[in-house]
Amino acid sequence: MSSELAPQPSSRGARAAVFAQLSGAGRSEQVAQRLIDAILLGVLTPGDRLPSEAELAQRFGVALVTAREALSAMRDAGLVETRRGREGGSFVLPVSRAPEALLWARLRGLARVDIEDSAVYFGVLSAGCTERAAELASDEEAARLRLWLDNADFAQVSDAARNAGGFYLEIAVISQSPRLVREQIRLQAEFGSLLWLGVADENLRRNIYGQNVKIAEAISAHDPEQARALVRGQLSELSSWLLAAKERIEQ
Amino acid sequence: MAMRIRDNVPDAERGRECSAAIGALFTGVFTMLDSWRTAVEKAGADNATTRIDSLVYSLVEPELTVADPLVIGAGFIAAPETALSQALHFAWWLGPLSDNPLLGTTTKPSRLDLASREYAEYLRDFRAFEWYQVPETTRAGHITGPYVDHLCTCDYILTLTVPVGVGGSMRGVVGADILVRRLEPEVLPLLRATESAIALVSSSGRVILSVSPTLRVGSIVSEASAASRGWDAVPCPGTQLKLLMGETI
Repeated sequence: MSSELAPQPSSRGARAAVFAQLSGAGRSEQVAQRLIDAILLGVLTPGDRLPSEAELAQRFGVALVTAREALSAMRDAGLVETRRGREGGSFVLPVSRAPEALLWARLRGLARVDIEDSAVYFGVLSAGCTERAAELASDEEAARLRLWLDNADFAQVSDAARNAGGFYLEIAVISQSPRLVREQIRLQAEFGSLLWLGVADENLRRNIYGQNVKIAEAISAHDPEQARALVRGQLSELSSWLLAAKERIEQ
Repeated sequence: MAMRIRDNVPDAERGRECSAAIGALFTGVFTMLDSWRTAVEKAGADNATTRIDSLVYSLVEPELTVADPLVIGAGFIAAPETALSQALHFAWWLGPLSDNPLLGTTTKPSRLDLASREYAEYLRDFRAFEWYQVPETTRAGHITGPYVDHLCTCDYILTLTVPVGVGGSMRGVVGADILVRRLEPEVLPLLRATESAIALVSSSGRVILSVSPTLRVGSIVSEASAASRGWDAVPCPGTQLKLLMGETI
């Protein structure tokens, strides 16, 4: 970045949002969840010092004991460490040590109704994008999508998650709608990492790739109904897997 | 520009004047890109340096900050430094923005920082993008789109790119982005100055703008479909764009 450039946008805003006041039940979980999300989204980065218990309590509008519980839960999950002394405080640990653990913690923290609702919303948005893409794709766009998918790795878990999201973003681009593209980006940032937890399952990973090949073919063939049905099917499978996984870890 | 289209001539002639005026609009941008290409080629072989970055910024800044700019983003995208690398170097700036979904409102040009676009990590090789691949293959200027640019503006745009090369080697592309929205006040009056100009379409028949409510932006009119409706496709000189002429239903 050279000196003429405007400062990077919104990181201050994003930080402010992390610490906005909370309401409702389960506040210590909410405090922990907000901080976990911030770490997942990279708003809080390894080495960052969290506000003190008293500051957290004040900023979130919760009792001191609630802030203490939240920090304690995050320490137990290996997300932060607390150091004593003059230079002390709670510090964010590198996420790379335990990104999976973070996501599982998040899955545990979400209500079933919210998981289902997020999957429904993502599914309707993506099915709509796919329908439009099947109507509007040029031969070149359809060929590029198939070529990208041919070379996309769905064998490794981390690649599969990234590429499963990338596939829907490519489809949104082919839909010719900037609004649909922006909403895909926003929704994947919010919910994507959780949604693709299922790719840890090898069978599901293979199914998703196979479905994606068929979706790309339906787009090439200008078959909106088929493309839409395939997307709805995939999202239904993903949300079923998430709900089953949640049930397993909570039993 | 509507002045260039005479009203005392047959409509086919007006259509040609209309396509010529549209061609001239884009040729103006290509002429600018050619001058940038020359400047970048003269600057020498060291692509990805701060020197080339500041040269490119000095070229694009006046275009991006002029009142009511035609161009929303511009710059130089350098080829990988070595044959082993796929990494392109982006010396690319966006003009001042109002309410951009990614960058908010800015009063000065801001540089495209792909590292901040985490959602784009699934993209492996940016050379596969049409705006790079086609000029690399044809060694000629190219208009990509209209398309949704999800890397930079998050908007519906045309991208004009011209290859930069020294002695046959591909050094990258210089380019400029134009919002489809920004073209409407330039081009719609030209279409309306004729009786039968219906739409401006890309080389693949994708509608950029149209005066017919049934012919939507982003939809594709194939050559066969245009022919079956009795529409003529008049090329806009200096571009791959076409003007569809005929009777709307």
